[in-house]
Amino acid sequence: MPRQTIVIDPVTRIEGHSKISIHLDEEGHVEEAYFHVTQFRGFEKFCEGRPFYEMPSLMARICGICPVSHLVASAKACDAILAVRIPENAARLRRILNLAQIVQSHALSFFYLSSADLLLGMDGDPAKRNVFGVMEANPAIAKDGIKLRQFGQQTIEWLAGKRIHPAWVVPGGVASPVTGETRDRILAALPEMLTIAGRTLDWFNSEMESFREEIRSFANFPTLFMGLVGEDGGLEHYDGKLRFLDAGGHIVADHIDGASYASHIAEIAHPWTYLKTSFYKPMGYPDGVYRVGPLARLNIVDGCGTPRASQEWAEFRELDRGAVLSSFYYHYARLIEILFALEKMEQLLNAPDILDTNVRAHARANNLEGVGVSEAPRGTLMHHYKVDRDGLITWANLIIATGHNNAAMNRGVLQVARHFVHGNKLSEGMLNRVEAVIRTFDPCLSCSTHADGRLMLEVELRNAGGELVDAIRR
Amino acid sequence: MSRTLIIGYGNLLRGDDAVGFLAAERLRALVQDPEIEVLALHQLTPELMEPISRADRVLFIDAAATGDPGTIRRKKVLPAAATPRFTHYAEPAALLAGARSLFGHAPQAWLFTVSGGDFELTRDLSVPVAKALFRLVAGIVRRVPRPVPAP
Repeated sequence: MPRQTIVIDPVTRIEGHSKISIHLDEEGHVEEAYFHVTQFRGFEKFCEGRPFYEMPSLMARICGICPVSHLVASAKACDAILAVRIPENAARLRRILNLAQIVQSHALSFFYLSSADLLLGMDGDPAKRNVFGVMEANPAIAKDGIKLRQFGQQTIEWLAGKRIHPAWVVPGGVASPVTGETRDRILAALPEMLTIAGRTLDWFNSEMESFREEIRSFANFPTLFMGLVGEDGGLEHYDGKLRFLDAGGHIVADHIDGASYASHIAEIAHPWTYLKTSFYKPMGYPDGVYRVGPLARLNIVDGCGTPRASQEWAEFRELDRGAVLSSFYYHYARLIEILFALEKMEQLLNAPDILDTNVRAHARANNLEGVGVSEAPRGTLMHHYKVDRDGLITWANLIIATGHNNAAMNRGVLQVARHFVHGNKLSEGMLNRVEAVIRTFDPCLSCSTHADGRLMLEVELRNAGGELVDAIRR
Repeated sequence: MSRTLIIGYGNLLRGDDAVGFLAAERLRALVQDPEIEVLALHQLTPELMEPISRADRVLFIDAAATGDPGTIRRKKVLPAAATPRFTHYAEPAALLAGARSLFGHAPQAWLFTVSGGDFELTRDLSVPVAKALFRLVAGIVRRVPRPVPAP
């Protein structure tokens, strides 16, 4: 048979637009597979010349799903430019907002985008593999997902004024303190959400046995893992230091200040995608490929720090001797993080000083450079700005979670395609598995395609017979 | 007094697509009634099923891509299952179906549409749609139940 290329365009049930190409040899075996991100945003360039204090609101516009993550990382970079230590209660309130963001985004990923694969099966009717199909097949799970996402969104609105693109997180802290009424509303909703999170974890654990083949083949290979950890080595989404862990569970690098990320992380561009690829600099590419996000976070930490999430984490760590390698377990890690986020919000909201009105530090630009690092739902998010003496942005670099995961996603697509796709007999279920491995990472492509400097671009001129006539590369 | 939920939706940066969102914002300022909740949104999402199920009637307001610009239409919406390819947004009929199947109640619902003429990147409405916005808001204000004055 002639060589063939199977194209899945668009990849469905992810955030943003992309396609997958699977290249088959004459025998119909998968030779290569690529995950192409076809959109380009360019926020790094068009923020140049803007005052730095506008950056949190500008950067929040990158995404409609995780604007809060960009708000937080951007505000932290601006804090560094101000050279201030923000009030303790401001940091607490930012943490709560970030956790609410993780709850709503993880709920969207698990219930709206992926639960149909788990509930209806990878070979289920594609017309039903969506949240409305889940509503028909298992209304209780659909209802739980809707309630959990609604809670996360509502909490963001109560704290920050609106659900999408709020402007409450500002350089130096937050714009206003939380009221007792808002605190009590969130606390009152938490018990039901904790019940839902626990119930969903029980359901997922009971279903895992049916997905042994997917667990074995969904981006299941050794890589490094990276994320923030707290001072005690615990699970941390707002602050902390960077840690790299290898596949055997050994710490490769620890206590890395976010501001020195460039000494440890490098990026390359490929001609077939707008998404940059990050790797651990000391090991080079491809040996330094690493993963971020829920799976990585639960792999790198020494513990969770909240009671119920700690129990689940202990079971999660039993899945492998070293780090948990299968990306199928991103789903599991995501559910554990929802539980953690709810428990942590409860702890933070019950802090004695939560109503303290000192929530913002004021200063002028005192540094010409600032880096902000936080954990977004999909992984470590880095905002790095340089300003002139008037505080105008002269340069910006964003390293987004999905970019950290790019190499692993591509390798995962190839692994799944080789395992499930055979050119002489194609089925919809095979191709859905190729998409589903991407969904485990929960990529957010609109967040992640901002060029730092020059993007690689290759233009090929082919004649009618497909023969390469000319090519230009820059 | 029955409870009314008004949901206006659209993209504020795509010209006439904003008409539903803007109508909701104006209605929120005009209708000061605890029995009437007004939401101005960018798009419809599955989370709306729960508040929809708590209402006695729902008015959706959206832009339409067909018809002469500025034309206002009203039609009743009945619950109907949907299978969209993407799951970040939903149709009014699917939200009603979800409200009924998951939360036990689908209220009566109507969809008001204003035909748009310009959906390019702009924050401005076209002239016919801007005029229709006034008529639409005035018409809805007349239709929603008014609170009975205290004796």
